[in-house]
Amino acid sequence: MLKTVIFVVFVLIIALVGGAGSAWLALESTRSIGSVEIGPWVTFPNQGTRKADPYSRARSRRLGQLSLGQAEGVVLVAAADSDGRPLLRQCTYRIQGELPPTRFFTLHAVDDNRTILSAPARFLSALHSQDLLWRDGQTLGMIVSPHPQPDNWMAIAGTGSMQLVLTLVDTPISTGARVGETSLPVISRVGCDA
Amino acid sequence: MLKLLHAVLLGLFGAAAVHIAILFLLPTYSERDVWAAMAKEAGPYAFVRLGEGNADPLLAEEQNPFFETAACRFDLENGMVRLTSAERVPFWSFSVYDRDGFNVFNTNDRSATNRELDALVVNAAQLLELRKGVPESLAASLVAQTDVGEGMIVIRVFVPDESWRIIVERFFDGLRCEAL
Repeated sequence: MLKTVIFVVFVLIIALVGGAGSAWLALESTRSIGSVEIGPWVTFPNQGTRKADPYSRARSRRLGQLSLGQAEGVVLVAAADSDGRPLLRQCTYRIQGELPPTRFFTLHAVDDNRTILSAPARFLSALHSQDLLWRDGQTLGMIVSPHPQPDNWMAIAGTGSMQLVLTLVDTPISTGARVGETSLPVISRVGCDA
Repeated sequence: MLKLLHAVLLGLFGAAAVHIAILFLLPTYSERDVWAAMAKEAGPYAFVRLGEGNADPLLAEEQNPFFETAACRFDLENGMVRLTSAERVPFWSFSVYDRDGFNVFNTNDRSATNRELDALVVNAAQLLELRKGVPESLAASLVAQTDVGEGMIVIRVFVPDESWRIIVERFFDGLRCEAL
């Protein structure tokens, strides 16, 4: 009798913890089913459309977000640098490389709850392409750092993990299949505050 | 030992079932329903500004610090919807979502005549009606064909910096979402 009870409880625990845990992991992680990865950047091309897979559907309903349409833009999120280390607010990062053709783009930093981070004083933890200095050859170069930097600087502050959100507005890559073929800037860690 | 293996296998089958059940039930039972949140805030055909300052946390969330957004609910059963604003801004785009928040149509200012916002959201029957003869006043409108009944329109406007704020506010002040 007792053996049967233990058996059933054991099975139920595996089922509930395993099922709920794996569902939570699949929905919570930035890299998941339905995503396209380009270096450190992750995007969900079908998110919020009727073509979305069940994971994307559940994810967007859980976030309750109205996702951008293809004519509006593509949102790419990076939670790690190009070496795979998690992005930290106390570190300095250089974002450099080519961007796909786009009318303009915005870059901002968010915490793990997708709340936009703010930096001290009048600085926003955000930049857009019409605000940048462009060097010869139009390659993008930006520094994300808690300390002031020359050229293109996006201020961050505090400690803990962060994610970088790159929004390419009105870009031809959003038309489905080609998303994975584009090249995006590399995020390299320059150094960290002790 | 065999009994343990039996239990683990059964448990894993159960876990798969629970995983799938959560996945498919989540959209139905999610409380984060933008439509419901907007219905609490304003009636149909009234624009609600999204972002900071909303009492509802779902409407208060900002997706991008450089964009101002507003949304209105509509029902195509009451006739087609016309979306207009007189002011010109550096960039606007709008998306039409169905009742469940799926994006069914989206476009931006490049598709519009003179980059001005003047759009009609219609269903297939209303599009046929339009084809028969477009009234003079709607000749320049961008036509968005959808297959929804009830839905939402979200309009997004780019604010490059604070100096544009006044113009963007004027754009939103002049924004109309009306049933024709």
